Amino acid sequence: MQFIENLRLALTSIAANKMRSVLTMLGIIIGISAVIMITTIGTSIQKTLVNTFNSIGNMNYFQLYAQVNYRSQEDDEIINYTDEDLISREMLDKLVNTYPEYFYLNMTESFGSVELKNWKDQVLKANIVGRMNIEGDNDIKFTRGRKINKTDNDLHKQVLNVSTLFVEQYLSPDADPIGQTVSTDMGDFVIVGVFELPAIYEKQIYKPGQKTIEKVTPVYVPYDTVMALTHQENSYNYYAEVYYNPEYDVEMLENTLQKFFEDEYAEKPYMYIEIENMQSQLGMINTVINVITIAISIIAAISLIVGGVGVMNIMLVSITERTKEIGVRKALGAQNSAIRMQFVVEAILLCLIGGIIGIILGIAGGMLIGFVAKQLVTNFYAEYAELFTITIQPSIPAILISVGFSILTGVFFGYYPANKAAKMNPIDALRYD
Amino acid sequence: MNKTVIEMRNIIKRYYIGQPNELQILNGISLDIHEHEFVAIVGQSGSGKSTLMNMIGALDRPTEGTYLLNGVDISTLDDYDLSRIRNQEIGFVFQTFNLISRTNALKNVEMPMMYAGIPRKKRLERAKELLELVGMADRADHQPNELSGGQKQRVAIARAMANKPSILLADEPTGALDSKTGRMIMDLFHKLHDEEGTTIVLITHSNELAAETERIITISDGSVISDTGVKDNAVY
Repeated sequence: MQFIENLRLALTSIAANKMRSVLTMLGIIIGISAVIMITTIGTSIQKTLVNTFNSIGNMNYFQLYAQVNYRSQEDDEIINYTDEDLISREMLDKLVNTYPEYFYLNMTESFGSVELKNWKDQVLKANIVGRMNIEGDNDIKFTRGRKINKTDNDLHKQVLNVSTLFVEQYLSPDADPIGQTVSTDMGDFVIVGVFELPAIYEKQIYKPGQKTIEKVTPVYVPYDTVMALTHQENSYNYYAEVYYNPEYDVEMLENTLQKFFEDEYAEKPYMYIEIENMQSQLGMINTVINVITIAISIIAAISLIVGGVGVMNIMLVSITERTKEIGVRKALGAQNSAIRMQFVVEAILLCLIGGIIGIILGIAGGMLIGFVAKQLVTNFYAEYAELFTITIQPSIPAILISVGFSILTGVFFGYYPANKAAKMNPIDALRYD
Repeated sequence: MNKTVIEMRNIIKRYYIGQPNELQILNGISLDIHEHEFVAIVGQSGSGKSTLMNMIGALDRPTEGTYLLNGVDISTLDDYDLSRIRNQEIGFVFQTFNLISRTNALKNVEMPMMYAGIPRKKRLERAKELLELVGMADRADHQPNELSGGQKQRVAIARAMANKPSILLADEPTGALDSKTGRMIMDLFHKLHDEEGTTIVLITHSNELAAETERIITISDGSVISDTGVKDNAVY
């Protein structure tokens, strides 16, 4: 009805007893700020995890593990599985050809280091890393030339991507690296692109003061080229990675994968494929953090009940103090509902202001803890700082719920005193001194 | 004869009904008050005049008897309707002023109109008009604690007049004031009566004040013991 008037009245009344109002709000402030602080920490941990995972690279792949199903056999019978029962490259190619929309291969494997001789006949080592397709890998920054691609891989081209450090080690300073040939015991490769070595190599892999020539850098060659050169085209593995298109539902993809391998292994019931997926593992970790956050928040929210009782208590004191005013208002024609509304609004406002102060303090507290954590990591675990992307983010749903809960606390604990005021007999109230 | 505003027939009020200490305060009061009258209800303390005032002011319902206020039977109304009646038909003026603290004079005058649901703009306009009428226009934004007793009572009278009530019900309005300011308040009542034609019921124990009015109803032991009757010239 006269909502604005009630709001103004409530503000006047709260402002008239500032100290008392703040003390009354204290319970609400502590409760809400605790909840907000906990949820801020919770969401920050989640965000940090997600960002850290994402910074590692493309996580949209399934991990396949070939497993032997011992239980499917008769007792004591020894299962003689052979390498040919494991995951074959042929199988994976079939999978990708059957579902080109869903899956693709992106094999990465280190084939060990090779010894090379540079332009000054110095011996240096490089780590041959087979990559199938690094076009989607945005973490690698290329300074010159191009990335090795799918065509290089499919046609088994003997091309190479090297690091800037490798160029420094291998070639004379004035030589153009693109088009240079690198001879290895596997064969000759032509450099088609130069990339910047990630900072982590300098920080963690190389020792301080290590000579440039002694630093082993990775060089990228097409995976299938190496497989062909080393006659491993038909390899069998216990483990394989299959990348997927994240536009499709992960669960559906996993089922498709499961079904595909069930069909592949229809003749060999003692074998099965176990599928794992980083995203769903991350999801599980998130669920656990969520449950913990909610559980602690609920415990913290108990203090809100104490705060609510405090509000109720002060409202009861307030209406006793203002009995005469209530009587006058009733004599002037205030309906019971108007009186009730006046005091409920006052209680709500008291809780809401407390809630907002609590939210601000909670966010500040959460951010402070996040900041301290960040400082600790950067100062004491500097070597890991690169790996962590600490993100501090308050939980928006928690804030909205807190505002709603503050209002609800006001209504719940304000209604009884307000109703008591509303039901006062005007004659008795007017006579009250 | 003017329209009858208050029509009381055989009003009885009992407290603690059915208990050993049952108490009968009003013993069958009957009276009529008409539009534009200026009536004093006189009685010693304990005579039942406060109870009668509560009854007239629709703060209380009679135990027995009928009370018609502008033809509406008060004894049958519920709390909500009684509050509407108080808001629309009665203008209370109290001995202790009873202005709402921390609320300025203007807001105090606006209050009954707020409960009547009158829009803000209209309320403000009317409240200013009323403060002008009681000579308090220059104190509109003062808090009650910044006003003297006489000024407070004038604001209270403006507040009582807010919704153009049928009766201005004043309970010892000069009781808390010195004689000089009390005189000014009485003059204000006369002005409202003479110029606005307001129906005024003045409750007092002072025969001196009562003598200023047109009609004196004397209450003793819960009964009307004398009534000077309706004055012939109380016609507008």
